[in-house]
Amino acid sequence: MKHKLNWKVLSLFAAIAMLFAACAPAATEVATEAPAEPAQPAATEVVATEAPAEPAPAAEEVALRWRTRPDNQEEIDVYSNISSELDGQLEGITLTYEPGGTEGANYQEQLRAEVAAGTAPDVFWIPGTDVADFATRGLILNMADLAAATDGFDVAAFYPGPMYHLTYNPETGADGAESGALWGLPRDVSTFALYLNLDLINEAGAPDPRELAANGEWNWDAFLDVAQKTRALGSDIYGYGASAWWGPYGTWLNAAGGGFFTPDRAACALDTEESLAGLAFQASLYQDYDVATPYGEDPEPPFRAGKVAMFQNGRWATPGVRTVEFEWDVVELPKGPAGNAGNWLFWGAYVVNAKTEHPEEAWQLVQALTTAETQGKVAALGANIPSRVSQEAFDAFLTFTPPANNQAFLNGLADSPATEGPLWAGSWPEYDKIMGPAIQAVLTGGRTVEDFGATICDEANKVFNQ
Amino acid sequence: MSNTTLVDSKTLLIIRGSTLWRIFFAIVTAGLAVAPWVGVISGLPLWQKILLSALSFLAAVASGIAAFDLAKMRHRGRIISLALDYLAFVASFVVVLNTGKVFVGIDALADTFGRGIPYLGIAFLGYLITTLEDRLTQRQVEEFYLKQISQIIIIAGVILFLWQVKAIEGFIFVLENLFNPAGLVSLVGLAVFGIAIWAMWRENTAIALRAKVHHEHLLNGWLFLSPNLLGFLIFFAGPLLLSLYFSFTDSDAFNTPNWLGFDNYAKILNIRLVPLDSPTQLARDVVDIKVYDEVGRIKFGNSGLLVAAADKFFWLALRNTLTFTLFAVPLSVIPALLLANILNSKLPGMKFFRAVYFIPSIAAIVGISLVWQWLYNATIGYINYFITLGIDFTNTLFNAGIIDPKIQWVSNENTALLSVIIIAAWQTMGFNTVLFLAGLQNIPGELYEAATVDGAGSWARFWSITLPMLAPSTFYVITTTTIQAMQVFEQVFILMNPAEGPNNSTLTLVLYLYRSGFINFKQGYASAIAWVLFIVIFGLTMIQFQNQRRSSIYES
Repeated sequence: MKHKLNWKVLSLFAAIAMLFAACAPAATEVATEAPAEPAQPAATEVVATEAPAEPAPAAEEVALRWRTRPDNQEEIDVYSNISSELDGQLEGITLTYEPGGTEGANYQEQLRAEVAAGTAPDVFWIPGTDVADFATRGLILNMADLAAATDGFDVAAFYPGPMYHLTYNPETGADGAESGALWGLPRDVSTFALYLNLDLINEAGAPDPRELAANGEWNWDAFLDVAQKTRALGSDIYGYGASAWWGPYGTWLNAAGGGFFTPDRAACALDTEESLAGLAFQASLYQDYDVATPYGEDPEPPFRAGKVAMFQNGRWATPGVRTVEFEWDVVELPKGPAGNAGNWLFWGAYVVNAKTEHPEEAWQLVQALTTAETQGKVAALGANIPSRVSQEAFDAFLTFTPPANNQAFLNGLADSPATEGPLWAGSWPEYDKIMGPAIQAVLTGGRTVEDFGATICDEANKVFNQ
Repeated sequence: MSNTTLVDSKTLLIIRGSTLWRIFFAIVTAGLAVAPWVGVISGLPLWQKILLSALSFLAAVASGIAAFDLAKMRHRGRIISLALDYLAFVASFVVVLNTGKVFVGIDALADTFGRGIPYLGIAFLGYLITTLEDRLTQRQVEEFYLKQISQIIIIAGVILFLWQVKAIEGFIFVLENLFNPAGLVSLVGLAVFGIAIWAMWRENTAIALRAKVHHEHLLNGWLFLSPNLLGFLIFFAGPLLLSLYFSFTDSDAFNTPNWLGFDNYAKILNIRLVPLDSPTQLARDVVDIKVYDEVGRIKFGNSGLLVAAADKFFWLALRNTLTFTLFAVPLSVIPALLLANILNSKLPGMKFFRAVYFIPSIAAIVGISLVWQWLYNATIGYINYFITLGIDFTNTLFNAGIIDPKIQWVSNENTALLSVIIIAAWQTMGFNTVLFLAGLQNIPGELYEAATVDGAGSWARFWSITLPMLAPSTFYVITTTTIQAMQVFEQVFILMNPAEGPNNSTLTLVLYLYRSGFINFKQGYASAIAWVLFIVIFGLTMIQFQNQRRSSIYES
């Protein structure tokens, strides 16, 4: 009886102690090693001066929470380190970095739930395709006034593609520095390239795509030639592999001169002659020439197993590819009939929560996160390309190898890529869900290109506002 | 003689005070009921205004009735008072925890608790030492010193634990957070409602108000039920009713929703069957393609029937979900029944196999789906690898000339749903086996003995005894498996990329409502889909209940 009483008292005490222990302020994070300074860069195309922005003075210490979407622990470590450094640099601001989940861990859905509940961070990252949905619902802050009051801030310091969407004013239809809208700043950009299994290409006796690209001979015919030769190595060896989402299949439509939308992005353009031509060529890779991994199957495992000669993916895949056990490199996408490769400019943006209590400080943080120095540290991971159009940014990017041919990604940037972006005149998620299965049906042989062209825009145009 | 003459003055004073308290409470809650509509409380969405007003009005009416009953010394007043003050006390407690930021700190607990475990261990060691006192009852001096030592160790362990987990700082942190109007009001509320509960709960008050034994049983019963009931109301019934409200609006979870009436339901259920002049006639020739999309077509020779819907994805999802259920339920029930019969035998190793077959049902769905994703990979997955091995072996041995199909399990629209069915059946079968095993244990052995004596073989015993006697278990298994199958989501979401599968072949109803609500920002429409799904599942379950009533022999 006495022991039971002691036991109960002890347990109750522990429970109450745990309750108060839970309320103790959390420990601060330990800073990790910053990456080394980059060495001298290779040649680059576009150069623009980077104008430093003056931060507004903070009246008192404010606490800001910020979040981004890292894809692995290495990125989390780099962002944590950046947060610690900025915490010391930004006067009057205490930063708390929250590493969000990966794309597979429903970063976007969790963020939206928090925005609805009012518990989202002050600053967070969203993919470019989500900007319109967040802006039109009043979920993110319009920072145009803050930017106008900031000396040295220049919209032109960033790539024009993302800045078009980030400065688009849905009320007036205007964009640019004078539009009265600034929804965020791009964190980084990326393009597609073809990751090459050089061992397979050499074994097949196929020409080196990098040499072809350097000589201006890297086009669809050359691509098909390499793919066929490597495919002939064995029934389990494939010449080309790409994942089943709008990014990879979109490049073929773009490269043929077509695309998803009309130039004003207010109507479907999947049924144009050019789009259908691009789709037909891509379908031939799967159906007629049988050089590609089965559409819908994840091509990354067989590529990593050394069974795919050319794997289409973005810069973000580089950290994972660095662990493969064969010789590899990258090359830009082949040029299509329209004269370019039809590449995409992928991007995401740091935006400010519309309900933040500290908009000025949040704006300071967004600027600080997008300086060339900060972007250089992230670029060191090899995951993405800095979003600032500057020599310093390219210098930082080019020196972190492998791949040896990093320039291929910058060439993709210079090749007039189509910028991914939201649909201000409709719903991008709904458009994607209509387009994706229809494209897949063509690529897997369940539907003809003609039938696709005859019917797709009837359905797809419904997602645009009337 | 009035009952009040039998009541002591203190109790009478308490009852009079509680009566006044009830009147005050009624006035305040009546004010709260109108406050949102006259601008005193602003900024609330419509549904919160309605909820606050309705609850406040009910509380005001109940409090008024309780005041009247207490004035008349009726026990009903005590019951109503206790209920109202208990709910208010719980609400105040939650506000105190929230204002004190205790909920936020639960995450921090994971960081701090680990540091304190060794010191809790020291305290536990002290407790263990106290148990040694029992062995020293004949040696009082040693027993005394042992007791002192154990108490010192316990106290030292607890103090070190509190220091290590920063409990004092946590306590100060909570107090600092509570030192604001909301925190202080909630603390005062906590005290006031606590006193009010004590006033009504005390024995003398119960006697004065002529409480009976069944009154005490009632109060105790509701008290024990209250945590579960409150949790159910707040976290299940409340959101359920809220989703019903949202299903009649265009809610996107961020802005004030607009009332749409039945528009969402009308769009979901708007489907047409239109005859076609030829099997390849375009949909735009027979329906208004601004409203309808083609769901599918049925071909009859030189003509056909077009199925067009305003929301084609809903009908595709319904088709896929029903197809999935039609195959997944038998595949997870029939093998489970047969397996249960085998595992019910006295063969050696059966206990081991019972555990083995149950493991998939307790494994995490996400982990399972990821593993199967690798198994299903058409190029490097083990399933196709072993199929290839088998075909190569057969071709080599028998010169059969069989072509390796290289099945694209998850990327072919003809096999994608089958891939999901296989996973679901494999995972659910173990759990159903356990349920059947439990049912088999309840079948009297004498029935089998009698059947054996009568010359019945194993199949006859299974068909005539086992199956009928297992009817209740079978009904339960089929019903729960069907409900579970109709709500399939996790396997599809993880296995397929995109989740809808090739040509929407794995788009299920729950996946579609998830997509509508959380990706397309259409919470109102997603709520409507959820309620339509509920009606479909309810209908299927009712059919099963009807069948069970008609066929059940051993209901009693």
